[in-house]
Amino acid sequence: MSDRIEYDVTLVGAGPANMALAYRLVQLTDRPIRIAVLEKAKEIGGHLLSGAVSNPRVIEKLFPMWKSDGFPHKGICSESYVSILGPRRWENVPSLLTPPYFKKEGYAILNISDMCAYIAAKITAEAAQKDGVVVDFYPGFPAQRIVFDGDRVAGVKVDDTGDENADTLYSKVTVFGDKGFVSRDLIAKYNLRKNPQVWSVGVKEVWETPQSHEGKVWHTMGYPMAPGHLGGGFVYGQTNNQLVIGMVMGLDFVNPNLRPPQILQDLKKHPFIQEMLRGAKLVKYGASVLPEGGFYSLPEKFAVDGAMLVGDALGTLDVKRFSGVDKAMESGYQAAETIWEAHKKEDFSASGLASYQARIMNGWVGKELSDSRYFRKAFNDHPKLLDIFIPRLAAAVDSGKSVVYAGIQAGMADPFGSLGLLSARKKIENPSDIGPAVYKEDRTHIGKDYADNRKISEGYAENTIYTTADVVFYAHTHYGEENRHIEEFDAAVCKECIATFDASKKDTPCVGDCTAEVHQTLEKDGTRIHAMALENCVQCTTCEIVCPRTNIRVRAALRGYGPDFSGM
Amino acid sequence: MGNGYKMAVLIKQVPDTSSAAGVNPDGTVDRARAKRMINPFDKFALQKAIETRAAHGGEINVISMGPPPALEVLVEALEYGADYGYLLSDRRLAASDTLATAFALYKAITYLKDVDIVFTGLQTTDGDTAQTGPQIAERLDVAQITYCETMEIVNGRIQASRIIDGGIQKLETAPPALITIANSASRLEHKKFANVHMVKKLSRDKAEMERRIKTITLDDIGAEPERVGLLGSPTVVGKTWKLGEKGGSCQLFKGDKPSHEVELLVGAIKSDGKGVEEFVA
Ligand SMILES: Cc1cc2nc3c(=O)[nH]c(=O)nc-3n(C[C@H](O)[C@H](O)[C@H](O)COP(=O)(O)OP(=O)(O)OC[C@H]3O[C@@H](n4cnc5c(N)ncnc54)[C@H](O)[C@@H]3O)c2cc1C
Ligand SMILES: Cc1cc2nc3c(=O)[nH]c(=O)nc-3n(C[C@H](O)[C@H](O)[C@H](O)COP(=O)(O)OP(=O)(O)OC[C@H]3O[C@@H](n4cnc5c(N)ncnc54)[C@H](O)[C@@H]3O)c2cc1C
Ligand code: SF4
Ligand code: SF4
Repeated sequence: MSDRIEYDVTLVGAGPANMALAYRLVQLTDRPIRIAVLEKAKEIGGHLLSGAVSNPRVIEKLFPMWKSDGFPHKGICSESYVSILGPRRWENVPSLLTPPYFKKEGYAILNISDMCAYIAAKITAEAAQKDGVVVDFYPGFPAQRIVFDGDRVAGVKVDDTGDENADTLYSKVTVFGDKGFVSRDLIAKYNLRKNPQVWSVGVKEVWETPQSHEGKVWHTMGYPMAPGHLGGGFVYGQTNNQLVIGMVMGLDFVNPNLRPPQILQDLKKHPFIQEMLRGAKLVKYGASVLPEGGFYSLPEKFAVDGAMLVGDALGTLDVKRFSGVDKAMESGYQAAETIWEAHKKEDFSASGLASYQARIMNGWVGKELSDSRYFRKAFNDHPKLLDIFIPRLAAAVDSGKSVVYAGIQAGMADPFGSLGLLSARKKIENPSDIGPAVYKEDRTHIGKDYADNRKISEGYAENTIYTTADVVFYAHTHYGEENRHIEEFDAAVCKECIATFDASKKDTPCVGDCTAEVHQTLEKDGTRIHAMALENCVQCTTCEIVCPRTNIRVRAALRGYGPDFSGM
Repeated sequence: MGNGYKMAVLIKQVPDTSSAAGVNPDGTVDRARAKRMINPFDKFALQKAIETRAAHGGEINVISMGPPPALEVLVEALEYGADYGYLLSDRRLAASDTLATAFALYKAITYLKDVDIVFTGLQTTDGDTAQTGPQIAERLDVAQITYCETMEIVNGRIQASRIIDGGIQKLETAPPALITIANSASRLEHKKFANVHMVKKLSRDKAEMERRIKTITLDDIGAEPERVGLLGSPTVVGKTWKLGEKGGSCQLFKGDKPSHEVELLVGAIKSDGKGVEEFVA
């Protein structure tokens, strides 16, 4: 057998959380330390996708000169709007009525793919200045599974040569910033997440437009989401005449065939966007999921013997503020402080790492997550908000009313409903304690008989709309023929599932919710079976989340296979 | 063979054809600006060496002739599992044609001493002559097997299948030999984590790095300067032509349903007086 491969710290995933961590740790250290970074994409940033408009508070801490020293931001937000959309009209909520947390002026517009590639290069440069400080990046080598030594996390499996030492990366501490790809096994093993995570999926396109919209930020509600479904759009103007158009939608709602790429196409049909897209060119398409459970989905412990959770893997995203990047980075920053202390004391046990949790929860991340703790619950407790109020509001706006008038009208139409609305509003804006939110674990509640009766904008230009299959092409995926990164556990279970959904003329959820035309059902030897065109997959994990029978698992693809999200 | 085979694999660094960087408007390559990569054909040669070492033991020496950036392909070859790298780099090699290149590489192989098997790729994506391998074999005065797809060594004899027009030819010879590997041969295995890790450590250990990758010059290999570079290259490049570009008008039909796109296509064929020919041609 070969020698063991050992580092002090292993970071799983080169996302905003772990890049902030590595940069901060290299800043802090005055003694030798060896850090390995595993990333499943073939280049750092290759699988990273976000919005993103972000409070630059952590970027400022790490890169005080970020506005002028080459830090790859895509502009600073100069105008931000919350907009209400009907199929025909688009109205911005007056600034006075816009909740303060939705005002994004002064925030950084980022693509985290470029950002993390940049920070990685900075980490390498900083480490080179310090004796004995090593940071080795391993793009194309995902952590395949967690290796335990009794109850302690000893490292992760990274290769398949059959020689255990050559296949395992051992570390004193392994930090998971992998949005759950492998760390869900850690959470399951220690039963850390008593209340499950709640997921949304985001689909996004980058366009090059003839005119610049740099610095403008819109967050939309109403069209094209169906009544009863939580979701909204984002439209960000970036430098270099780039326009980002995206939709985020909950995966815990009743429609079994959400078709996220189609909803994005429908948003683009809106006359307001059509106007911006005239003469424009599609650059890229992609999708990724967002953990939206927030405060009540946080694990009981943020660290165990030999391992920590950061960013989306931990669940720091704050959906009320649409703030994921800054909180992920802050979690990495605080994890670095903790690891630095642990490194000095040579104690990476759960107790040696315990201060991490307090640092997060007593700091602004914990405070803001607490303030947002009932956001998701408000929509669950008050279905009228999504079923009736927002559709009415959108309809009133569409018929030409101002937002204020439309709001009053939509509220007044149902006086009892509007009392509920006030209570929902209180949960969102200014919560008093009403006990923990409880989320559903699975998707067994989805409706086979759900009827989608959305009204779609008319009169759009064909050349700005793509069939969903075309869009997939713009994710630039690449896989080798031996790739098998999605595992189907039991074909018989799929057959039953298909029969159920066939009976109500629906697609199975994996087919209906996939963001990249991967899943399909087809006839083989007289029965209908589930099949996958894995070469399209953008690794968003939506299918696994929505499978009502927990019958598939999306693993990190090996060898850097997957989409090319550079610039996303 | 107690210690297995001493192998040399010849790898050239070529411009990255998948990247537009460094391609001049007239279609020629600006080598300084272009992204670089291992000549894709040479990966099949490296794989054959790896398979041979796995079956019989031995050591894999990678040789590349080129300017200093070609060091990158040697480092990458070590990540793929090669044991040693030799960069043959010398200003006096500039402007070598295949005659001069083959001579220099032949000298480099003899400098390594006692090489049993030389593996080369079929051709390169930039020079594209497929002459280098056979020329080296002639100079080494060893057996050559070109277009080799599969091979094994049985009782010390190389048994190889090579692709010929309309079929496969089986050959047998004893080392030493030079084999050019076809691009239908088995593909290069993915890098092993342990090898990538080892190369990262090498990059911080100057002495060990110099032991594993050596830069050699004409003086080291004892090649006469007048037989390489411009002086040693009888090829005269008279003139180069750009043969024009393929292409034409491509029209994409977009709609939110495939059936809609087909309608648009059919509509365009019908309404555009030019009829179907334009789309079929
Ligand atoms: C469509 C969309 C829009 C968003 N908009 C905004 C916004 O406007 N503002 C905002 O603040 N936030 C936004 N967010 C949220 C924000 O992007 C995330 O909260 C943030 O990126 C989380 O960072 P992270 O480092 O935890 O994880 P990620 O960014 O998810 O990075 C995880 C990394 O780990 C890698 N990885 C995964 N598994 C493995 C493995 N097994 N081995 C090795 N590597 C692995 C991945 O390839 C990836 O590089 C948005 C998210 C989405 C999807
Ligand atoms: C008419 C003509 C004129 C040329 N003029 C010039 C010139 O003026 N200046 C100039 O710089 N080049 C010139 N070249 C290119 C140069 O001759 C070739 O690049 C070089 O001889 C290698 O040949 P090739 O690329 O065709 O390799 P091939 O013969 O197609 O390659 C076969 C195999 O040989 C090995 N091999 C080839 N080259 C190397 C190398 N450098 N290192 C290690 N292994 C190698 C590889 O295994 C490769 O797969 C010219 C080529 C031609 C045809
Ligand atoms: S993967 Fe899940 S959703 Fe898809 S067919 Fe199978 S059981 Fe149904
Ligand atoms: S197959 Fe699953 S992971 Fe892949 S793109 Fe579709 S929904 Fe996402």
